[in-house]
Parts: sequence; structure tokens; C-alpha cells
Amino acid sequence: MNAIDLQGVTKSYGRTRALAGVDLSFDRGVTGLLGPNGAGKTTLLRIVATSIGADSGTVRLLGRDPHGTHGDVTAIRRELGYLPQELGYPSDMTAFGFVEYVAVLKEWNDRTRRLAEVRRVLDLVGLGDLATRKVSKLSGGQKRRVGLAQSLLGDPRVLVLDEPTTGLDPAQRADLRRTLSVVAGRCAVLLSTHQTEDVAALCERVVVLAGGRVRFDGAVSEMIRTAEGQVWLADDPGHDAVVSWRTGTGRHHVVGGMPPPGAVPAEPTLEDAYLLMLGADARTASARAAPA
Amino acid sequence: MTTPHTTWHADDDLLAAYVAGELDPIGGASVEQHLTRCAECRVRIRPLVDVPALDRTWLAIRDTVQSPVLPLPIRVARRLGLPEPTSVLLAATASLRTAWLASAVVALAFAVLAAAWSSDGVIAPFLLVAPLIPVLGVAAAYGPHEDPLESLVVTAPYGRTRLILLRTLAVLASALPVAVPLGFLLPGPVWLAVAWLGPALALVPVLLALASFVGPRAAGATVAIGWSAVVLGSLRPLPATWPVEATQQVVYLGLAALAGVVLYVRTRHDRQIGAVL
Repeated sequence: MNAIDLQGVTKSYGRTRALAGVDLSFDRGVTGLLGPNGAGKTTLLRIVATSIGADSGTVRLLGRDPHGTHGDVTAIRRELGYLPQELGYPSDMTAFGFVEYVAVLKEWNDRTRRLAEVRRVLDLVGLGDLATRKVSKLSGGQKRRVGLAQSLLGDPRVLVLDEPTTGLDPAQRADLRRTLSVVAGRCAVLLSTHQTEDVAALCERVVVLAGGRVRFDGAVSEMIRTAEGQVWLADDPGHDAVVSWRTGTGRHHVVGGMPPPGAVPAEPTLEDAYLLMLGADARTASARAAPA
Repeated sequence: MTTPHTTWHADDDLLAAYVAGELDPIGGASVEQHLTRCAECRVRIRPLVDVPALDRTWLAIRDTVQSPVLPLPIRVARRLGLPEPTSVLLAATASLRTAWLASAVVALAFAVLAAAWSSDGVIAPFLLVAPLIPVLGVAAAYGPHEDPLESLVVTAPYGRTRLILLRTLAVLASALPVAVPLGFLLPGPVWLAVAWLGPALALVPVLLALASFVGPRAAGATVAIGWSAVVLGSLRPLPATWPVEATQQVVYLGLAALAGVVLYVRTRHDRQIGAVL
């Protein structure tokens, strides 16, 4: 039995189709969800987190139907950790108070065990020393880690993280990688991000969503291989490249199209593979990103 | 500050007596002073210390320091048997804070004073304010933003409906015991003192039903404006007690029943998993 099973899942908001028939299943290990804005990543994660229901298709979480009985939904939620994309923090709560509040919502009713568990997850994300600090006094990255801490309460079997790396500096990203590698052995981790480097660093498996459909699903190494032979270093940008940019050495990193004269094949990265996969979308995105 | 050339060291008996707490205050303080400066004595005292006991003490201190202080009404409720986990949930409720309750009581006390001091017993200010206190308390329970924890509450096993009903009951249980006695200070017929509870209790389900569509802020504002219109509209043409007379009470009851049905249908038929309140 897979921890997460989705078949033919669709979801629309009014006339906007967020998910247009998605088949995916996940078991233990870390999977990264990549895709442009509006690709359906957050919708997919919210469905897995039982925050919203799918319009059609079947969703099975830990072998249960989240649309089923109250008992089924509650049983799923007991095994679920969720870090939403936007998480507000009540202004006068401390980091400890916040995580304790969520712990009560997760039915940690025995006070001694609850306090020990809250301390454990705060230590796990490296916030043990800041536990008594008001959340409003914490930095963006620290707040994100408070959010991550609450999602780890009770060692969930399904962990859904919507953009967990937002606001984290490189050292904190490395910490996150360590934390996820600790939990991934016994838990299905599903995380979304805009950063291909995050996926390369944190995940074994990658799913690319675009326009509400699955464009790619496989190992990270497999996805990188799709770009083999299509990435070059050259002295000019290449006239039909999917995307190219000037690197620090003054040469151009050219992805896709015909190799420019004198081009040297380069080792592809996950980002190259992602840009090739999304083609036109990526071209407009990079045009917007580089006005100069 | 370390003094490198300490010649004197505490002997084992002295250290043992210090750990056991058997020294007099001055002796204990001097051993403590010495220990902060002498690494050698710190090494020798280590085996004498009961580490698990020290850990327990430290954890107890951490728990006390890190646990948020509970607002007064919740501390009272704990004494009366409110379960401990529930008190953690309620402590985060903005309108159960002492400050919020105090301002509600002050507003109501002014309304009562106005009625008592006016020559012809004007009760409109009281009728205007009193029924809105529970309603606004429930609306304000969400805090300054519509519940910032919304997305987490929705996916927690505790359940959102349960949390909202718990907060509503808590607001009623904390606001009514102070509001009801004030009602008895009103001039006029004695039944007035309890009659305002009709709209007060009926408007709460109306608020919850409205909030399931437009959120607690807008719902609170709508109910407040609606109730003010009823009270102020009846001010001139009708007797002062009109808003809480028997016929009107039946209307409030009907509204409350309707709101109950709306809530029931909403929680049943929405595709959102969980509740919609």
C-alpha cells in the first residue's frame, strides 16, 4: 500500500482548472514538486493535506478515503504533518506556545508528553534556544522553521511541505536537508519549491507539474539525463536556444536549440532539464526575469 | 573571572554537604562562589550530583518559563475542572483575554449607569450593547486576522467545528456571568434583566452562520449593524422594551433556528473536507 495514491484527480476554482487529471503515488522518501506559478502544486498539496477535497478522481491516503467517514479523515490527520504556504502566527504567541497550541490540536493531551514532544521538534529544527521568543520577533527563516517544527509533531507518516525553503539561508537549507533525511526513512515527504537546487539537494524523486498535469515523474538523476547533449558553453548565446545566459566567466550557458559555433558540451543540471521541459513557459519566465 | 592560582580546594565532605543542601547559607554561598572559579572542584563535584534529579528540576523550570500565562477567566475555569489541553486552546482566544472582557464590562456598566441616572429610565443603551457582547466576543475570538492558523486548524484531527464551538461556549461562559448581574441593576420591570438574553443567545448562531459565508469580521459587523437598527429604529415610535418583548423573542428564536439549519446544511454539503463554520 502506498502512503499517498491519487488517480485522475481534478480540481477547479470557478472556471480555472488547477488540476486536470493527475495520477501519482508516493511512498517513503522525499519527493519535490516543481512547476511554474499556477501549475497546481499548492492545490495538489492541499488535497493531500486534507485541506480541500478533489472534484473528481480517487484519493487514498494511508489506505483511507479522505472523503469518507469522519473517522477516516481523523485517522489520516493523526498521521499527517502539514506546512502551508502561507502560515499566519498569532502576534503574541511564543515559538513554544505556538507549537504547543498545534500539538493540542493534534491531540497531545498528556501535558508531560506534549511538552517533551514540543521541545523535541523545536530542537530538531534548531530553535530550542529561541523557544521563549515571541514569533513576531523571529526572522523570516526562523518563522519558517517554527512552521516546520509543528509539521513534525508526532512523527507523521505523510509530511506535506508547501515551499519550506522560503526565507531560509544556505546554512538553514543544509539543516533542512539533514532534518528531512532523518524523517524520510519512515515517512512520505512531499515538498513544493520554485528552486531546482532545492530539489537537487533535498529530494530523490521529482514531479514536474505544468498546467495542472504531470509533465515528469521520476528520479532526480533521470530528469537531469533528459537534458544530456542539449547544454553547451559557448562564446555566443545561440540563436534558437530555449534559454541562455552569460556566466561569470563571460561565456554563455546555452540550453536547447542548435549548438552555437565552437560550443563545448556542458554537464546538465536539474535546472537545465527543467527549463528544457517547460520550453516556451521557461523562455517567457527568463525574459521577465532578465530585463537587462 | 578565573583566578589561576587557587591554593585552597573544597574537600569531598564539604562538597557532599553542599550538594545535599546541608550547609548553612553563608557556607553554601562560599562553596558556590568557589565552584564558579575553580575548575578542579567542579570536576570533583560532578560524581556527587544526581544528574537525573537535576534534569528533572531543569525541565520543570523550562516548562514553567516556556508555558504561556493563562488569562484570568481560563485560570478560574481550570479551578472549576476545565481540562488542561482545552485551556491551552482557549488561551489563544483573543476575546477571552482579561483586557477584552474588562472593556466589555465597562461598556455595559456605562449603559446601566446611563439607564439608572436618566430620569425616565432610558434602557436603549443597555439593549444596544448587552446582546452584542457575546456576538462580538465570538467574532473577535478569531483574533486580529481571521484565524491566522486557519489552514492548520482545518487539517488538524481536533477539528475546526469543535474548536469554534468550544470558543463560542467559552466566550458565553465568560461574558454572561458578568453581564447578567448588571442587567438586574436596570430600572424598569425585572423580566428585562433576563429578556436581553433572548437576542444575545439568538444572534450567536446567526453570526456563526453568516461567518461561514463572509468570515467572522464581516459577519460581526453585519449582526452589529442589524441589531443597532432594531434597537434604534424602535426608539421613538415604540415602547422602550419593544426589542425584547415576547413577539420579537419568537422572531429571534426563529432566526436562531434558521441559522442552525444553515450551519447544518453547510457542514454537510460543502465539498471542503471538514467543517465550514
